[in-house]
Amino acid sequence: MCTALIELTLWIAIFASSTSTSIGGFTREYYLAYVLWVAFIGRISSSWMYEFRMIEEVESGSINGLLVRPMSFFEYYLSQLMGYKFVTSIFSLMIPLAVIYWMDLPTDFSKVPIALALVVYYLIMVHCLSFIVSTFAFSLTRVHSFTVAKNLALWLLSGELIPLDLIPEPFKSVLLKLPFCNAVYMPVAYMTGRIPRDVFMQGFLSTTLGILFFGAIGWWLWRRGLTKYVGTGA
Amino acid sequence: MKYARLFAAFFKASLVADLEYRANFVTRIATDIFWYAAQIITFETLFRHTDRIGSWNLEQTRVFLGLLFVVDAFYMIFFHDNLDRMSDRVRKGEMDLLLAKPVDSQFMLSCQRMATALIGNLLIGLSWLSFSLYNLPGFQPARLLWLIFLIPAGLLCLYSVRFMFCSTAILFTRSENLQYLWFQVYKLGMRPDSIYFPWLKFVILTILPVGIVASVPARAILDPPNFALFAWVVVWSFVLLYLSHRFWQWALTKYSSASS
Repeated sequence: MCTALIELTLWIAIFASSTSTSIGGFTREYYLAYVLWVAFIGRISSSWMYEFRMIEEVESGSINGLLVRPMSFFEYYLSQLMGYKFVTSIFSLMIPLAVIYWMDLPTDFSKVPIALALVVYYLIMVHCLSFIVSTFAFSLTRVHSFTVAKNLALWLLSGELIPLDLIPEPFKSVLLKLPFCNAVYMPVAYMTGRIPRDVFMQGFLSTTLGILFFGAIGWWLWRRGLTKYVGTGA
Repeated sequence: MKYARLFAAFFKASLVADLEYRANFVTRIATDIFWYAAQIITFETLFRHTDRIGSWNLEQTRVFLGLLFVVDAFYMIFFHDNLDRMSDRVRKGEMDLLLAKPVDSQFMLSCQRMATALIGNLLIGLSWLSFSLYNLPGFQPARLLWLIFLIPAGLLCLYSVRFMFCSTAILFTRSENLQYLWFQVYKLGMRPDSIYFPWLKFVILTILPVGIVASVPARAILDPPNFALFAWVVVWSFVLLYLSHRFWQWALTKYSSASS
């Protein structure tokens, strides 16, 4: 809520001191709707807690208990992440839905389900990234900084900080082609009417490519890590 | 004098420990570069579409960011790691050993482990501040003298309030959610205070003084001196430090050892 409040006041201040009624082709209401959604979608589409746990498992050797289970490390934590996000998302989405309805901000509610579907699909890619980071713990100690660095980079690339359509060319085009914008910008921009359906649907394609790419790297790093790993019987 | 020597010894020990994990040393600096870049890109992009945000233009906002980076770097180097793991130390019973030492327990808990890797961040912050001051029209170098008082005062306020948040670990054992709340509050200080509604501005200059961290030092450089505000900030920083100590003493009376 605090993040949403800060971003709301920032945009109110920007429009209060601006001589124009629109910025980048959109009015104040569009930005208020954008930041309200971003504060919540951004939390849903990021992974901190489970990534830290995955690193901890590899670092401490308690991964032994998972390796003997009839479910892979990747699948085990993916199911945990999805379960957690499902429960928290339902509750946390009540707030933006209520505020947007109350403030009458631009959001097409019929687009919300498919926008959320993209976020859920994107979470698989997020998990692939977490899987990659956790494999670093096979050969390095204290890899938590990688999680922070990666999530801060995603913060920039996903449009959580600022709507990507405000970023100057050629950076804007590059960012929109990368899969990371599907975390926040694509779903929120689609719901709030900043992008058309065909542009939004490309998000599913780029997320699929991202899952394949990062999944392959993760799989390779995992195999490599396991050959080095020595179970300590923890 | 004893505490100054201890402080120096902690710093040296932390530097040796940090250099042992070189990958971590480098990634911590790299991590914060992302954070600095995020703040800078946000405002640089916004100012491509507007001339002012609140009462400041781009050059003035750059100075604000420079001061935010510098104070934040000092805080991260000296206190952050210690306060961040306070809850863990209480839960795991590591506090007992600290309480038995012949030095003030608040000092030990707050300064024992310093993040020396983040000296790199301080240098980045100082570089950005120098760049922004160089590009500031009508900059008066004499105004930098205000920072001698205002940066330590901002740091003290930040430390004291965070310490009080962390001290709740003794009362609740697990206070992670309160720490999360603190980070949300701290975000308020990462934006110029002029964007906030008057009541919120009052809150971040008094009860939750995150506005004192960067907004007040920035005002000292950018605006004519507001002596009443500066005096308030300095006095309030000492009051908060005193209150944090009193709160800690009170919290300790509720402490029950988790070890043995």
